[in-house]
Amino acid sequence: MAATGTVTARKAAWLDLDAVAAPSRAAVAGVRVAVACGIIGIWEALSASGLFFGDVVPSLAKIIPAMLGLLGQDVFWTNLQATAWETVAALAIGAVAGVACGITLGANEFLRKAYEPFLYYFSPTPRIILFPIMIMWFGIGIESKIALGALASFFPIALSTAAGMRGIERVLIRVGRSFRASGWQMATKIYLPAMRVPVLTGVRLGFGGGLITVLLAETKLSNKGLGYLVMQYYQRFDMATLYGLLIILFVLAGVSNALIGRWERAGR
Amino acid sequence: MSASAEPYLVIDNVLKRFGSGPEATVAVDHMSFDVKPGEFVSVIGPSGCGKSTLFNIIGGLLGDYEGEVRVGAERISGPHPSIGMVFQEESTFPWRSVIDNVAFPLELRGVPKAERHDRAHHFIDMVGLSGFAKHYPSQLSGGMKQRVSIARTLVSEPQILLMDEPFAALDEQTRLLLGDKILQIQQQLNQTTLLITHNLTEAVQLSDRIVVMTYRPGRLKRIVNIDLPRPRTSEVVGSDAFGHYVAEIWSDLREEASSGMMDAETTAARRNRPRG
Amino acid sequence: MAERTRLRDLAPITVGIASLAAIAVVAELLLLAGVLNRYILPLPSDVLVALVRLVREEDILSRMGLTAFEVLTSGFLVILAGVPLGVLLYRFRLMRAALEDWLGALAAAPIVLAFPLFLVLFGRGPKTIIIISFVYGLAPVVLKTQEGLTATRRVHVNVGRSLNMTPAQMFWKILFPSALPTIFTGIRLSWTFCLVTVVAVEFLVNLGGLGHLINELAERYDMPGAYAAITFVILLSMGFFIVLERIQSWLQPER
Repeated sequence: MAATGTVTARKAAWLDLDAVAAPSRAAVAGVRVAVACGIIGIWEALSASGLFFGDVVPSLAKIIPAMLGLLGQDVFWTNLQATAWETVAALAIGAVAGVACGITLGANEFLRKAYEPFLYYFSPTPRIILFPIMIMWFGIGIESKIALGALASFFPIALSTAAGMRGIERVLIRVGRSFRASGWQMATKIYLPAMRVPVLTGVRLGFGGGLITVLLAETKLSNKGLGYLVMQYYQRFDMATLYGLLIILFVLAGVSNALIGRWERAGR
Repeated sequence: MSASAEPYLVIDNVLKRFGSGPEATVAVDHMSFDVKPGEFVSVIGPSGCGKSTLFNIIGGLLGDYEGEVRVGAERISGPHPSIGMVFQEESTFPWRSVIDNVAFPLELRGVPKAERHDRAHHFIDMVGLSGFAKHYPSQLSGGMKQRVSIARTLVSEPQILLMDEPFAALDEQTRLLLGDKILQIQQQLNQTTLLITHNLTEAVQLSDRIVVMTYRPGRLKRIVNIDLPRPRTSEVVGSDAFGHYVAEIWSDLREEASSGMMDAETTAARRNRPRG
Repeated sequence: MAERTRLRDLAPITVGIASLAAIAVVAELLLLAGVLNRYILPLPSDVLVALVRLVREEDILSRMGLTAFEVLTSGFLVILAGVPLGVLLYRFRLMRAALEDWLGALAAAPIVLAFPLFLVLFGRGPKTIIIISFVYGLAPVVLKTQEGLTATRRVHVNVGRSLNMTPAQMFWKILFPSALPTIFTGIRLSWTFCLVTVVAVEFLVNLGGLGHLINELAERYDMPGAYAAITFVILLSMGFFIVLERIQSWLQPER
């Protein structure tokens, strides 16, 4: 070992999270613009290259007018209304049933052990395959979509509620008891406020699952709804409008998801 | 490494500022002391006095400071091979068994498996974990995990063992018993040790000398020699001399600790504005 | 003592399974008594018989093979692409700051709904299903890889620094093993997405494997057959998720 000189640290500054200053807002915005421009550039290049058959990759110059045109048509708004109604109804049914079921499972250890594994493993299965059954039970109208959507939103809400109920800090319950809170007071002053966040998390997940299930069911068999509209444009091979509609749908899904997420975080 | 290159840690006028300009705060202010070969020195001070900053400087994790920390004749500005660090937080690797945790530094150096396991076993025995070599940290208690960390540091046979409140997260009784373990190891290896702590009993129980720091900025308040006989065990805490040292250092520390507490309360009052 | 706890754990599971069986028996009795309509709900015993028929006549096992092939191909592609992308996202903080939210939005977006586009772009075939499944499953692995690396405990990094480790050692011996459980969680999520997507798209567009079979049977009004196929796919998916979990905990016995 050398007796003199200086020992220096190896250059591994990128590992040292504190040492690297957080990227500036301008840089972040710059990267975002660059990435967006890159994607659009590649898209337009593909569109112009003629590699794909016909209008499969239409230029933005076609997609954007088609999208705006769609927003100006009644057909979009009536179908949006149908999908919104189906989703909201499905979510309402799924949420009421899910919260009730979640509370039951959360409160009783035996029931939880007996039934939660089924919910847990059933929850992520491809629920759309239950659609034929829903059609037999509820017909081909909106009822079968609501039923399937309710089924999809039920599971995450039930699981999240049950987990939230179990996750309540035991000491809070003991505090409530020590103040001799009544059963009703325990429910409204301790359990419900403490479970707000997990229940809302379940609602957000249930909304996502319900919406996508309703839309997929509409693509399969229906005569209204945005999923139905997707299939209409696909069958007419109106690609520009199809892209426009999907963009609108992704934005709608993202915005509603973010709104519920904000409500959820406000509970913390 | 020849025997004549005596390890000798010198902290010479060390100053560390965080930030720059008028907002700069001084964490460590012109600290000077040294650690002689085979000696056990503790640095004690109230929470927030810059002890951990000092630990990071000596360990070479904070290269940018004024003054000098020297090992032999070398100024430290990066991790030095002759200093072994034990961290305050639980730092065993959960994905490695005890033996692979302890053998880790040897593995980095490319020591063949049989040999590094041999050497690791030696130190696992030394910290009293014989029979736990194949266990994973998740199967061990907090005190056992900290002993794994200590064995992992000792396995590279550092000339100076540098520890930052290694027992802070443990209960008082475990802490006393682990103190015995440290005393024993120190005896056995004649290990030069620098311990950073805020625990009075721990410092007096283990040290030859105690460096008392002031609260913000962290300055040297004074150095106390602990003339308790060695070999020691935790039973020493019952002796009159022990009580005397504790009282003496507490009278130095009290003022610093209370200004630290007041500071913490003001910050809390400023930060936690009533909600709603 | 151990036996008693095992018994205590078994009791609720038995009750759970027994109540499913009880529902089937009650349904059977109600159907036989004519209280429930057989055109809406087939006899559970017929469904059981139909399951045998599916194996013999409908080639359900080779369809299962096709579905499994699509799921596994897209699943491994997701790992091959997703883990390196996650590492890049971790390595370049600017990229992470700029793109993490976008990836999160992508993960939450109902991409499956774009299946008509994929059909037009890539044709009707297993290739298209694999591509949709890959696109849908990619985000969780990328995000979880990045999350796991970022969550590496600071003290572990400091242990590495105090031992003067090279960046490569730091990555392979500290960051990567520390992130591994989170990466596995991402893979498990992605593979779940892949299975669901593959079956759903097969069902929606009448292509190939198990999803296609369900659609066919339903369109033929083969009620017991459709119920049997649906039950089969659901049980299969549940088994798949259980196996994924088992693999994950088997790969990390220490935690």
